[in-house]
Amino acid sequence: MEGLLAGDDDAVRALYARYGRPIYSLGYRLLGTRESAEELTQDVFLTAWRKAARFDPTRGRLSTWLMTIAHNLAVDRLRRETGVSRPTLVLVDEVPDAPGLDEEAVLVERDAAIRALSSLTEAERRLVGRAYFRGMTAREIAETDGIPLGTVKTRLRSAMIKVRKANEGKELL
Amino acid sequence: MTCTAVRDRLTERVLGGLSARDATAVDRHLAWCAACRKEAGELERASATLAFAVASDDPPEALEGRVVETVRRSVADRNRRNAPTPRRSRLTLVAALAAMLAVLGTGWGAVMANRAVRSDQAAQREVARTQSALERFQELVTSLEFSDPENEVLLGSLNPAKTGGGGGSALTLVSPTIADMAIVLVEGVPDDLREHLPLTVRLRGPEGALLVGRIDGDGLDDSGAGTVTREFGDLTGYDTVIVRDIGGRVVLRGSMQTRATVTSPSP
Repeated sequence: MEGLLAGDDDAVRALYARYGRPIYSLGYRLLGTRESAEELTQDVFLTAWRKAARFDPTRGRLSTWLMTIAHNLAVDRLRRETGVSRPTLVLVDEVPDAPGLDEEAVLVERDAAIRALSSLTEAERRLVGRAYFRGMTAREIAETDGIPLGTVKTRLRSAMIKVRKANEGKELL
Repeated sequence: MTCTAVRDRLTERVLGGLSARDATAVDRHLAWCAACRKEAGELERASATLAFAVASDDPPEALEGRVVETVRRSVADRNRRNAPTPRRSRLTLVAALAAMLAVLGTGWGAVMANRAVRSDQAAQREVARTQSALERFQELVTSLEFSDPENEVLLGSLNPAKTGGGGGSALTLVSPTIADMAIVLVEGVPDDLREHLPLTVRLRGPEGALLVGRIDGDGLDDSGAGTVTREFGDLTGYDTVIVRDIGGRVVLRGSMQTRATVTSPSP
């Protein structure tokens, strides 16, 4: 992180080598164009450099920190660009595996993601997808589906507890 | 906000679905509550796992170079700006901006909304004065350190929290390359409020509230105007100004919203 803080080229390249692909993939799948995904990736690394001094490894993993930045920036953009059509979301367990392209740490994260997805019911998966990948608030989901806000919150929480359990499995690896 | 209320919102917080107001309230609680912070940390890790759940795509090969170049350029800008800028010029700029906010008098909300009264001679003079101030303000905003396109300058109006008088303006500068800064001007402080000084000015943001400064009797002029300024490490997301009297009652409140791309009001 000291290298990133100083803006050292090698440090940025090392970070990109590990997380560039998942960040780009998140941008592409959420925003829908390669151009948007490239812009998002650049914004994420720039934001990471700016905020590097605030990263505290005792409070969380680097991957959590970086992907949270990526998700926040992507959702900001989704909400800002209302009316733009978005692609159908394609998740990792819906396509053939592409081995050998990512580092071990990312493969571990992806395995945890697959476990998390498989632990969800179809309804929970759709719900999490709308909240996390489409940036919809619980209130928006409740209004769209015509169900009480409290019900949406409870279901979201229940789904995230399952995702968290899959994440605990990752800690053991 | 209680622990129960915070726990109720944590899932939405990590999914990015809370309003800015609720997110700020939750973050303020997390700043001091270790138990809720632990819960939030676990949910945040779970949420980040979902980021790896999308199907993978290969970025173009040239993207790595562009990322490195983007960071390199920002580093160079920071170094260039940090090196030659004497602190004195920065303080001069701060003083000038504070004075400019004071000159604008009626507050940025009305100015930006272009609601100046236009019907008589006095109104014409008011428009001319405002226009002149805006032009000078624009020059300041785009000069020196403020010319960095990475910087974000936000403006806001302060309004009375309930009944009562007074108002004000606020400006924050968020920069990746230099210290962030806040300038808050209160104005038209009514006589009854003068009995409850000092006024405490804070900025609320993702990690709680930051003290900008206090305004006591000596800090107010005859018209009831006073200014506080302060530099900060990082003002990202600090978008609410709260002014309290000595009893802790909120007397003025405002949101930082308007980007300082200043347009002159039409005559």
